[in-house]
Amino acid sequence: MARRSFHLFVWSSVSLGLLILAASYLHITNGVFDMSVIDVAKTLLRINSNKEFDLVIFEFRLPRIVIAVLVGVGLGIAGVVLQGITRNGLADPGILGINAGAGAAVVIFMFFFQVRLIDSDMSSWLLIMMMPIFGFIGGTIAAALIFAFALRHGHLDMQRLILTGISINSGFGALSMYLSLKMNEKDFESAAVWMAGTIYNANWIFVIAMLPWLLILGFYIYKKAYLLDYFQLDEVNMTSLGIHVEKEKITLLLASVGLVSACVSVSGSIGFIGLMAPHIARQLVGIQHKYVMPISALIGAGLLILSDFIARTIFAPGELAVGIVVSIIGIPYFMYLLVKVKD
Amino acid sequence: MAIAFRIEDLIAGYEKSIIFEGLNAVIPEGKITTIIGPNGCGKSTLLKTIGRILKKERGEIYLLEQNMQNLSTKEIAKKMAILSQSPSAPSQLKVEELISYGRYPHRKNVNRLTKKDIEMIEWAMDVTKTTEYRNRELAQLSGGQRQRVWLAMALAQETDILLLDEPTTYLDMAHQIEVLNIVQELNELHGCTIVMVLHDINHAARYSHELIAMRQGEIIEHGSADEVITKEVLQNVFHINAKILHDEETNKPVCFTYDILKNEVSAL
Repeated sequence: MARRSFHLFVWSSVSLGLLILAASYLHITNGVFDMSVIDVAKTLLRINSNKEFDLVIFEFRLPRIVIAVLVGVGLGIAGVVLQGITRNGLADPGILGINAGAGAAVVIFMFFFQVRLIDSDMSSWLLIMMMPIFGFIGGTIAAALIFAFALRHGHLDMQRLILTGISINSGFGALSMYLSLKMNEKDFESAAVWMAGTIYNANWIFVIAMLPWLLILGFYIYKKAYLLDYFQLDEVNMTSLGIHVEKEKITLLLASVGLVSACVSVSGSIGFIGLMAPHIARQLVGIQHKYVMPISALIGAGLLILSDFIARTIFAPGELAVGIVVSIIGIPYFMYLLVKVKD
Repeated sequence: MAIAFRIEDLIAGYEKSIIFEGLNAVIPEGKITTIIGPNGCGKSTLLKTIGRILKKERGEIYLLEQNMQNLSTKEIAKKMAILSQSPSAPSQLKVEELISYGRYPHRKNVNRLTKKDIEMIEWAMDVTKTTEYRNRELAQLSGGQRQRVWLAMALAQETDILLLDEPTTYLDMAHQIEVLNIVQELNELHGCTIVMVLHDINHAARYSHELIAMRQGEIIEHGSADEVITKEVLQNVFHINAKILHDEETNKPVCFTYDILKNEVSAL
């Protein structure tokens, strides 16, 4: 039995790894400026490098793929945690309003510090490094509000949770909208595109800004993944086994809010990845979280690279925000889940 | 005689409604003690409070003569296990996996079971007669089988004290007795202290060394079956007019039949 889950886990990891490689290949070779594999390989290996290829690969496409992987991994992990601790398969950072909270905080930050994400250069790197921190504050406020309103008699009421999420979402959305309308034209454009969820302005500073968050919180959460298996029981059982249910819930929640905030501050609000990835992962490897979590992370990464590839190429030379592509894939999946959960 | 629980001036309840105030009781070690009483009398609340599922408002609870406040939840988990009234787990979970969850308080490496862990899991399955469907998913089990699996999980926790909240609800007559026989075996063969809540007073009388009868948050009577299952106590506690017989075979009182008290009928 345990061996069977492990086999499933290994096979899923390998196939997802290949899928991510294939998607990255498509992503890096296709676009307004088509390149052959050999060109890409030569550029990466520094053989006969030429300036144009260097620019396209190192400044545009590679950071974008790296960001897609990081954000996808972050959202995939956060989704597993949120669905686990709320015991609700429909929980997702986007639906619960954590994205919106982190987003509003980042918009406030952009508004006051006039950080333009599009033409960020090295001089603004300190500000960019601070964005995840702002995002974290906003995301934490959103999470605290969700808990304050959804907590009844010491346990999370699931219907209240979803309703609170919806209202927090629209509240923070309105705040972001209000502030962005007060911005000057150029900032507004930058903020509006960012809010729709985009990674087309990805650069290495973003990678450096979010990498520590992802590494530290990702490993922390992975070390606690086994606890999510126990969250599948009810709270009486957990307490009986000697688990500090509330304490674990809050630390796991904060860790995932941190992850989501880091993702939101570089990519804007990308919904549905945190919802879809854990579900697909469970269908692949079952219910043990030491397997579900890494698979969900890989699925998140794969989904985001593919979506970004579609966003970048479908209306080339124009671009769609990747958040929109993810939503187009995600909404039907969400409806499918709603129907399935009802049965 | 050693004492499992000493309860002093306990005040507890849900949110703002106090269920009982100033409750005192001593529950002996190595015995089966059953709490009985009508709906809403506080019997489940009492069990949950001594099981630290509900926070007490005031008062002290001593577990094996140690104040529970000074024990970490994990230390407590090595001394007592609680089985709730309607526990839940994912339906795809395998029986053996669920039972292995019971090892949590003893595990140092969460990813690998030790030899001792495996021994305890095998023992728990053996006692509850669940070994034959160890590889089945929970969804494939009947109500009685599932209840025994939950009991096995509590046993795998390797505690001397077991708290059971209505372990026989939703089970048919044969399965109720099956579960209670396991409880009795645990007490007689393995020296487990059992504290449970039961609805059926005849089961309570037959299987328990001590009974605690509660009404409206107060302990009306605490003693042996012969002391508690009497016409007067049942009248006080359940407001029923009971006909008590003596079962020669078990040497315990049996409530043969009952009716609602005359003045209660008019009050309805």
